[in-house]
Amino acid sequence: MRHLRLIGSFVGIAIENALAYRVNFWISLLHSLLSFGTGVLAIVVLFSQVEAIHGWTLTSTLALLGTYLTLAALRRLFIGPSLEALAGLDGEIWTGTFDFTLLRPVDVQFLASIRHWQPLVILDLLMSGGVLVFAVVQLGRTLTLGSLATFLLTLFVAVIILYALLLGFAGLVFWSPGFLFTWLFNAFFQMARYPVGLYPGWLRLVLTWIIPVGIMTTVPAQALVGGLSGAMLVGSVAFAAALFVAATVLFRTGLRRYASASS
Amino acid sequence: MPQIVVENLSKTYRVPEREPGLGAALKSLFRRKHREVEAVRDISFIVETGEVVGFIGPNGAGKTTTLKMLSGLLHPSSGGARVIGAVPWERKPAYLRRISMVLGNKSQILWDIPPVDSFRVLGEIYNVPLLEFRETLDELVALLDMEDLLHKPTRNLSLGERMKCELVAGLLHRPDVLFLDEPTLGLDVSMQTRLRRFLAEYNLRRGVTMILTSHYMADVVALCARVILIHHGCLLYDGALSGLARKLAPFKLIKVSLGNGHMSAGADPQLPTGVELLQRDNGQLTLRVGHDDAPGITAKLLNTLPVLDLSVEDPPIEAVIDQIYGDGAVNLEETL
Repeated sequence: MRHLRLIGSFVGIAIENALAYRVNFWISLLHSLLSFGTGVLAIVVLFSQVEAIHGWTLTSTLALLGTYLTLAALRRLFIGPSLEALAGLDGEIWTGTFDFTLLRPVDVQFLASIRHWQPLVILDLLMSGGVLVFAVVQLGRTLTLGSLATFLLTLFVAVIILYALLLGFAGLVFWSPGFLFTWLFNAFFQMARYPVGLYPGWLRLVLTWIIPVGIMTTVPAQALVGGLSGAMLVGSVAFAAALFVAATVLFRTGLRRYASASS
Repeated sequence: MPQIVVENLSKTYRVPEREPGLGAALKSLFRRKHREVEAVRDISFIVETGEVVGFIGPNGAGKTTTLKMLSGLLHPSSGGARVIGAVPWERKPAYLRRISMVLGNKSQILWDIPPVDSFRVLGEIYNVPLLEFRETLDELVALLDMEDLLHKPTRNLSLGERMKCELVAGLLHRPDVLFLDEPTLGLDVSMQTRLRRFLAEYNLRRGVTMILTSHYMADVVALCARVILIHHGCLLYDGALSGLARKLAPFKLIKVSLGNGHMSAGADPQLPTGVELLQRDNGQLTLRVGHDDAPGITAKLLNTLPVLDLSVEDPPIEAVIDQIYGDGAVNLEETL
């Protein structure tokens, strides 16, 4: 309950911050429209040439794009801004302002993960939700309660995986404070726009189990459009749990290395 | 009752090191050399409840490192410490709720929103009940006379005004122990005086234990009856400020004004042995004498010279400290 109240406070502050700069609202809206437009356009162009690729049709790929955009939005909403504030040359680790996070009587990992919000990203979330609804309507398939629940579960798993990966990369800054490790991740995350089935066999394996961007988008999309196996569902839940634990251990080990910046 | 107990605390940093030049930079990509820096060496001390202790020493002496270990930000390399009965670097929430740290060179107030909103978030983080939050905020705002600052965006505040906000932010949860690292850094003289007065008053009101580091001796003189001197990571002195002055500068200054006839003659008057003439200015002589010789020499001066006025003073603390921070520091370990 206290944690929820804290999140509420940070969201409140973020809204105030966002309103302090009106121009940011328009820039954010433009960014949302661009990322939405280019995403949809690329897929529409692709499927104007072919009917289906490896069993993925325009509609099911749109469901996947909706999932990708939802995840990307959640990342920009709070996970990204909070964790990325630690890294870089003006980051909190480098400048030592991380001291104040460590001084608080609240779990450091929790606080480091929820401090910064970008409320305007709610626009992205609405658009990505729109894509998902559009895809489901196009599929002409009545959404059962079961498949909706499975979709929400796999989406939650995807958020956990995304969070764990970003937390792990953020944890690496304790070893090298100036470097933005998330750049490495961004390149792979872009590949989650398309179904992993589209990639060659070896890359498919990498994108599923090594840098699991496949689990993040393909699995929830399959839950929505059908075709998700039980084994894959259980496997992805276990994978997310293991990744979360590993990233937490890495982050907390890194914390002990924090030397604070000199006065 | 002791509130801070420090025993044989040491901290060694491992810092990367390389030769200048491109070649060395390339080499360091593959093989990096490290050097051990002993920032704090085996220091021990005790601070009682409600005491205000000044940590002094030149840059790099180990003051901030010690403060950061005591506030739980850094793990020591060896030794132990207990602050209000807890091991600081275990960073238990119950401990963190009872301490606070104000850093003169870092800000915890959010930049784009008015300070009052930052305070509200801090109240939430520290789980301060609403009524207590309002009471504390009102008290601090009144003490610091900053009612008009609460609703301006922080980015529009001056450095001194921001520092007032930092102090409020640090005290909202009514900590029992307050660590202050250079709280008056960069402030103008009147704002420094203002903040000093506030800290002294707050200490009296709430009995908060404070450890303060500052390069402004006026901060230390005004606030700290006791000082701890650290140099090269070692504790060199722990006691009253006046005692430090006596140890480092074991002399007194005698200022004597003589009758006109004596001063205009040009030649210096006959002075007793053991007296060093430091300055001769407008009918006044400034003499330096050994601490223990001062009473005897004063009596002699009064008997032998036509003294109009005479005063005996301790050397200014700034001059004494300057001796530590300057070249005199080399032999400091032997002096103390």
